[in-house]
Amino acid sequence: MSARFIKAGLGALFCLGTATAAWAETTLIVPITSEPRTLSPAFAADTGGYHPGSNIYCHLVVMDWGVTQGVSSYGDLAKSWEMSEDAKTATFHLYEDAKWHDGEPVTSEDVQFTFETILEKKYPFAAYLSNVDRMETPDPHTLVVHLKEPDSPFVAMQAQAAAWTGKIYPKHIWENEEGFDSGAHVNEPIGCGPFRFKEWVRGSHVELVANEDYFRGPPRVDRLLFRFISDANVARAAFEAGEFPYLPYDYAPPLAELPTFEADPNIEVILADSHYGRDIYLNTKREPLSDLTVRQAISYAVDREEMNKLAFAGIWRPAYHAIVNSQDKWLNEEARFPDYDPAKAEELLDEAGYPKNDDGWRFKLSVTNPNFSDCKNMMEVLVQQLRRIGIDARWDQYDGSTWYDKAQKADFDITCYFVRYGPDPDAYREHFSTGGARNFSGYANLEFDRLANEARSLNDEAERRKRYQQMQALLVNDLPYINLFNVSQPSLIRDGWSGFNVQPSGFNKSITWFGHYAVTPPAN
Amino acid sequence: MRIRRYIILRLLQFVPVVLAVIVINFVLIHLAPGDVAITLAGEDADPAYIEHIREVYGLNRPLHEQLFSYLGQVLQGDLGTSFRSREPVMDEILRRVPATLLLVGAALFISVVLGTAIGTLVASRPGSSIDTVASTIAIALYSIPVFWLGLMLVLLFAVELRWFPTSGMFSLIGPRDPVGRSLDIAYHLVLPMLALSTVWIGQYLRLARTAVVQVLNEPYITTARAIGFSSRRVLLHYALRNAMLPIVTVLGLQIGLLLTGAVLTETVFSWPGLGRLIYEAILTRDTPLIMGAYVMMSIMVALASLVADLVYAYLDPRVVL
Repeated sequence: MSARFIKAGLGALFCLGTATAAWAETTLIVPITSEPRTLSPAFAADTGGYHPGSNIYCHLVVMDWGVTQGVSSYGDLAKSWEMSEDAKTATFHLYEDAKWHDGEPVTSEDVQFTFETILEKKYPFAAYLSNVDRMETPDPHTLVVHLKEPDSPFVAMQAQAAAWTGKIYPKHIWENEEGFDSGAHVNEPIGCGPFRFKEWVRGSHVELVANEDYFRGPPRVDRLLFRFISDANVARAAFEAGEFPYLPYDYAPPLAELPTFEADPNIEVILADSHYGRDIYLNTKREPLSDLTVRQAISYAVDREEMNKLAFAGIWRPAYHAIVNSQDKWLNEEARFPDYDPAKAEELLDEAGYPKNDDGWRFKLSVTNPNFSDCKNMMEVLVQQLRRIGIDARWDQYDGSTWYDKAQKADFDITCYFVRYGPDPDAYREHFSTGGARNFSGYANLEFDRLANEARSLNDEAERRKRYQQMQALLVNDLPYINLFNVSQPSLIRDGWSGFNVQPSGFNKSITWFGHYAVTPPAN
Repeated sequence: MRIRRYIILRLLQFVPVVLAVIVINFVLIHLAPGDVAITLAGEDADPAYIEHIREVYGLNRPLHEQLFSYLGQVLQGDLGTSFRSREPVMDEILRRVPATLLLVGAALFISVVLGTAIGTLVASRPGSSIDTVASTIAIALYSIPVFWLGLMLVLLFAVELRWFPTSGMFSLIGPRDPVGRSLDIAYHLVLPMLALSTVWIGQYLRLARTAVVQVLNEPYITTARAIGFSSRRVLLHYALRNAMLPIVTVLGLQIGLLLTGAVLTETVFSWPGLGRLIYEAILTRDTPLIMGAYVMMSIMVALASLVADLVYAYLDPRVVL
């Protein structure tokens, strides 16, 4: 009785404030794990900034979760494009009615200006433009990009990175600034995307409003708010209290609890695939993993089924090939990592000259991981599996930047990692070509490098596939890494809402995987 | 006159304290692994861009040079620019102070007043069943992790009963007029304040109880009783005043940590305060912001202990400054 009274009282108090305004418009609140550094995503890593940035700015080409069904890129500002026969010239045709939020038309000069600034300043996206020789704008809606070397995956590879740092900036606003990191518009962005910037309340949220003049038509939600909630438990509680309709997988509940949510008729559980895998990197430059036989032993010692049961409630799908399910048009069925066989593993270790000592151990090994919960769960099990075959494995944990520092300096034995296989298999290069940016295991195989470069310069899909399949065979033989799982990340969505980027209804129209253009609120 | 000289002397002591804080923290931050430039530029960044960042932020200069130029800046009242947001550190910190002051101030007020009151009450009947119950609860409350308590409060009052919002300081789709806004903030304040004061109240309750019980055993109290003063007057007028001394000391210490004392509570409730700002700055290796926050904190602690000493002198005539 009294509880009800208090509740009514509080409700009345609260309503006093809200009653004055009628909220006929739809508001979408999305929780994000970190606050943006700035609202100019081009110039540096900014996990929090990509969310508002991707909804405010336009891109040349983008991709979203549609990639898990084979769409490696689609146009944002680009209505269409052609790659020349020799894979050295890309011609983009832009939408003609796109406008900046201040009303100025978007032209190919804006794109050229943006790309030139990024290249000049060496901003992160420059990695995806490094092959650009020069650009031309024959008319306001055509951009011709001449490449230094043949590069057929040029468009697909930049489509993904666009979600992070490949935003297009308005030339008329930025041309007098020194780069994209100074001036009044860093935190008062003017883009050409589906939402306009309204307000950033520090420590709380960023508010965007629908852009009624968006060239694809206005979005179906009127206001889009990104709320900063760093703790997963807190975000889940807020979702369960009905404070927002979408709980992104960054806050995913433990997989073992999924059945509870699946039983709830008001909640849809989406298990999103990825073109990233979960795997372990083996440091090929350090004893004893520099010995191929030892790496082979480890590939026999890993029990993916047990790991799946203990770490992921049996919900993830083990991976035995050097690729993930969503990219299987490039799959080499024959190139397969071995099945679990601990006896074989021990035999190989004996053979490699690492018999068990008197204390029962063969050698010490350190296992580490980036600071993700799934990697942590996997490595915890892996340590036990290695100990079972007599490897004195130790589990070392670090915070994010320390781990990255160690990975880059190859200061690890085994680390959990997440090789990227798409949007185009050209992504193999950054992980496994000699000196690649994410080749932490120190793999160097000239044959692999040659095949990767050839595949990149070819336009014919069958010819490219042949080479990527050969590369998979090399990886499975040389074992710079061992692929373990296809990722399945659960997101929760309240009934009636659709078009979120992880839902098939949002595929290929979300505008980046941080985009919410396709979101449709419940009809009522 | 004596007092003024005392205050000036104490203020002068701030300088070496703050300098020591800066040097120690500077060294600690640079001992921690992780490369600021890579954190800033991103994992994909071009080595040339990382080099450029080192130059822009002065990270390529020798450490002692970085330290001296920072000390020089601070002496001029400039805390520098945040690596993360590229805004002045002072602005970043000041922007977050009101939220933290509101939360911590309200919680502290409630726990001091209620804790002292209940502690004094039970002290008048030491050993009674009320005393045992109150003291046990106080210890229990004091040992609850605030993070856990916060989550439990959220689950009960926000998720199950839906009386209060789960987190945040105001409704994102709420009222904008001043009255509605204030009510909205008060509404959001209830749970985090409850969590914090629940944990803090035990401390003041125990403190007040012990101090009052001790004082009540003093001969002068017996004298007062013998004279025939009412037990109410004895308790509030003679006993509590003397018992306030340790409470003021603890309060002084706590006020010093006021600005950062609520990191966990701010995290559970996504409260846009200073504690979370500092926590995030540590995660992202935002050296200027971390240093700036430590400088402000050390000044706060020093100021609070000065004020506590002055109040102490006022409460206890035996103390001569």
